[in-house]
Amino acid sequence: MPEQPVIEVEHLRHTYDGKYFALNDVSLGVRKGEVFGVLGKNGAGKTTLIKALTTLIRPTSGNLRVLGLDPLHDGKEIRRRIGVVQQGESFDFTTVEGNFNIYGVLWGVPSKLRRQRKEELIKAFGLGDVRKQRAFDLSGGQKRRVQVARELMHDMDVLFLDEPTTGLDVIMRRELLDSVRERARNGLTVVFTTHNLEEADYVCDRVAVVDEGKILAMDTVENLKRLYGGKKTIEVTLAGGDVSAFFDRLRTQLDGSEVQVEGNSAVILTEDPKGALQMIMELSQATGVQMDWLNIRKNTLEDVFIRSVTKAEGE
Amino acid sequence: MEMPGIVKLMYRNVVVNVDPGSLVILIGLPAMYLVFFGFGFGAMIPGGGAKAYLTFLTPGIMSFQSVMAGTVGGSMLWADRRWGMLAQVLVGPFSRLQYLLGIMFTSLLFGLAGAFVMLVGAFAVIGSLQVTMWGALTAFGVIAVGSIFFGSLMLLISGLVKSNNAYNSIQILVIFVVNFASTVFYSFSNTLPLPIQVLFQINPLTYIANAARGGFAGSLPVVSSWQIPLLVVETVAVLVMATRVYVQSEISFV
Repeated sequence: MPEQPVIEVEHLRHTYDGKYFALNDVSLGVRKGEVFGVLGKNGAGKTTLIKALTTLIRPTSGNLRVLGLDPLHDGKEIRRRIGVVQQGESFDFTTVEGNFNIYGVLWGVPSKLRRQRKEELIKAFGLGDVRKQRAFDLSGGQKRRVQVARELMHDMDVLFLDEPTTGLDVIMRRELLDSVRERARNGLTVVFTTHNLEEADYVCDRVAVVDEGKILAMDTVENLKRLYGGKKTIEVTLAGGDVSAFFDRLRTQLDGSEVQVEGNSAVILTEDPKGALQMIMELSQATGVQMDWLNIRKNTLEDVFIRSVTKAEGE
Repeated sequence: MEMPGIVKLMYRNVVVNVDPGSLVILIGLPAMYLVFFGFGFGAMIPGGGAKAYLTFLTPGIMSFQSVMAGTVGGSMLWADRRWGMLAQVLVGPFSRLQYLLGIMFTSLLFGLAGAFVMLVGAFAVIGSLQVTMWGALTAFGVIAVGSIFFGSLMLLISGLVKSNNAYNSIQILVIFVVNFASTVFYSFSNTLPLPIQVLFQINPLTYIANAARGGFAGSLPVVSSWQIPLLVVETVAVLVMATRVYVQSEISFV
């Protein structure tokens, strides 16, 4: 019997003003130990979805279950088992250490464990130099690190990260994403919103592309790339010889593929990159034309995002 | 054994709010009233009036602590909204009611602690103070109710206003009017202009100061027989209103 999803959302709708739906018929499921990405541009509805899932807002309509519980009736029990890093700043008006201590107390972390975790997290997030400073006096990136690290003071079953990498430098961003993956491998379910396509590609098992409150696409990153990306891109540059004859023959043999030639270079869009590569190699051998550059480029999540959003806008 | 949620929230409120700025507001201002007004007005009373006036003023200033504690409570909610901690706490293992009660009880704690500090301070300044256990309990009891009243009132205002500047302006106005249109510094007099008489009579701080002063004197004044029940009713009403405003806001719902 398949495991029950940790998060189940059915036909969720939410409006703040009674006119515009920030969430419009959203349905999704998130499995245990999964890093689920919610991808969308600003104002797409990502934060509203997080707010509904974390019991901060009462959805206008639809069904919602988190950890098998109904947020309308079991909000407190749900909140006891989740962690939330909000998009905006949230600090107590005290030092970095003070924020960790207070958070540990609020979450009922025993004092010995609290001290231990605080030290581990301060070290892991590189906050040693600023531990005695007031959180509000820190730089944007440091504040973000405090906010994420502080949330990890307590145990949880589901972690909601609402654009957690905003303001982080490249190294810290990568370390945070690696830490998220590691925790997911240990069973933590993570819901991760971002408009950064690279990091969604890096960290998420599945993503939902959201725009104007609707889910436009939802699958594993690879499947989405295949589904929406369609063809892969091969770039080839010839060293010399009868270039036009080479490309004419290639165009004939790669029936169904798109071949765009410019000078002694060509960009080939194909659904069968393996077959196309083989043909290029055979043609090179047969004609004696040498290649200067040959490259296959994978379709990126950015391709998926742009295609799904523009497709929706077109409809 | 794990602390109850409200106690955890109170711990947070105390830790975050016990900073020099808050202490100056909470303790410093009433202490200055006690010293400057006590000696200043007292000096105008012939025949060693300062001591008599300080003795009169002490329960009034202790009562005033309920207002100061209330303002700190309202500020807590506003600060939490402003700095994102309201939503952060509400996605934690607490109910919205627990959050409200956490602030309310912290106000209560600050009110009682502040009143105690004023009592000790007055004893140090005057040199002696006669109060029975019953009198002290009466004073602290009514200050406790007053702290919840003013805590609720400030939470209500904090929940309704849209900016920090507006909240601060209203808070200063409330402190000023409530403080000076009450029996904290002087007795009620029928010779006062009618509007001021009305302000005195509808001001809950008057009820608190009268009862606290009565407690110190050893017997409650006659007016306390209706003022104390009215204070309790008003406190419940304001508490309910504050809770409703808070529950209807879009921050959280359970």
